[in-house]
Amino acid sequence: MASCFFIGYYHISFLLTALVISFMTFYFGKLIASTQQDKKIRWLYFSSVSLLIIVWLILRHPEGMESVVNRVFPLIDLPWRVSQHSVLFPLGISFYTFQAISYLTEIYWGEEEPENNVFDFMLYMLFFMKFLSGPIERPSGLLHQLKEKKEFNYDMVTFGLKLMFIGLMKKVVLADNMAPYLDGMYGSLHDASGMQLVMTCLLYPIQLYADFSGYTDIALGGAAMFGFNLTPNFDRPFISKTTAELWRRWHMSLSFWVRDYVYIPLTSETRGWGRWGISFSLLVTFISLGIWHGAGWNYAMYGFIQGVIITYEMQTANFHAKLADKLGKSLYNGLSIVRTYLLFALSLIFFRAESFHDAIYFLTHMSFSINHSWKELNIGMSDHNCVVAGITLVLMLVYEHYNSKQNIIELVSKKNTAVRWIIYYVLAFALFTMGGFNTDTFVYLQF
Amino acid sequence: MDTENLLKELEQLFQEVLKKGSVILTVDTTANDVEGWDSLTNMLLISAIEKKYTIHFGFREIVKLKKVGDLCNAIILKSK
Repeated sequence: MASCFFIGYYHISFLLTALVISFMTFYFGKLIASTQQDKKIRWLYFSSVSLLIIVWLILRHPEGMESVVNRVFPLIDLPWRVSQHSVLFPLGISFYTFQAISYLTEIYWGEEEPENNVFDFMLYMLFFMKFLSGPIERPSGLLHQLKEKKEFNYDMVTFGLKLMFIGLMKKVVLADNMAPYLDGMYGSLHDASGMQLVMTCLLYPIQLYADFSGYTDIALGGAAMFGFNLTPNFDRPFISKTTAELWRRWHMSLSFWVRDYVYIPLTSETRGWGRWGISFSLLVTFISLGIWHGAGWNYAMYGFIQGVIITYEMQTANFHAKLADKLGKSLYNGLSIVRTYLLFALSLIFFRAESFHDAIYFLTHMSFSINHSWKELNIGMSDHNCVVAGITLVLMLVYEHYNSKQNIIELVSKKNTAVRWIIYYVLAFALFTMGGFNTDTFVYLQF
Repeated sequence: MDTENLLKELEQLFQEVLKKGSVILTVDTTANDVEGWDSLTNMLLISAIEKKYTIHFGFREIVKLKKVGDLCNAIILKSK
């Protein structure tokens, strides 16, 4: 009920769309499971998934769908016209549609039984802590947790609150202190110097990570307060030594989703082609992942680049193993981390630019030239903002490094009361005095 | 064909496909236990197994293969 209120509060049509899709998925799941003939099961599965994708496409890209219909049926005069503002893009639809496809696919594969309790299923689909931007949950994760009895757990509540606070720090003190300046650069590419474009390219992955992982921490923390463990979305992506590894650490609930439901079926179909089948599947999968973010060529290129790099890494694995032996493990790993970050930063130009043309302009105008002075390096950020963002970035990386070895939140909880409250007050003071409270959205809300 | 001999044959095949000097398999081994056995090489292994034993796995059968023991059972069943 709280989740329905949360969704309906934005716009009642968002709630109605989510409810219709959820009910549809619930009954399709039951239908697939209760059908006996293999052919009929296959037909039901592919029809239901196609229907979900078509509904998602219509609501996600109404103008594109109208143009497709007009091209395919040029003689039919559609009784409606889609203007930019006539169709509202339902918040969270990309995330809960993927959850619905996951649910139906697991039933089709025989990995999951259909859910019998419609209220539990609705909560699986609409749970408000992950509704807007994920994580994209699997039935084996969240749906199974709904069956467990939940009681008030003080430790889980305080853990959740602390995780939410860490997410807020990432979002407000790091991402939001950088966002206005990076947005400014992307909004006036033609006025920026070559060096400013280089800095924008290098800094954008940090802003995006702080924004999205900050959101995810808030979602995970909020869910923990209610006794649920949501799927983590990030695992220190900037220590990745290859792009393949980066995608096992970045937006994990989406990348594992496309791996399991797009890439693996594709590799199965093309396994007779050997390594070419893997390369083909990688390209199709990552282009799909790119297009999930938006219909523009820039998003397709963003995905295509990831596919090409991972294919290259796969084909040259032996060469890289020999290179690592020659250079020594530490130097090779260090260089690999820098290379992976730079390639990801370059590919994100296509993700962030307003259009494909803007992205090409960006790439072709990056240089070490400056327009006026070296102060341009700060892309307009004040010295205060640079220091705050820089220190927060270092603290975040150090926190994540140690947190991977030992749960820092639990460690702090074991300290005596005075130490704990000093830490809480210092962090709260830092949040309110240094936070950038000038944005009211998250990057991934648009998807 | 018994599981023990099959495991030895599979070890040889895994070494060739994954280009690793030594691969040790038991019925409980999963992809997490073998270096290089990941989503990029999984279908290369399945394809090599299909060729070696002239069998064919359906996709839904592949999804069910969680550990090497499942793979052995499936090969034995299909080779009969």
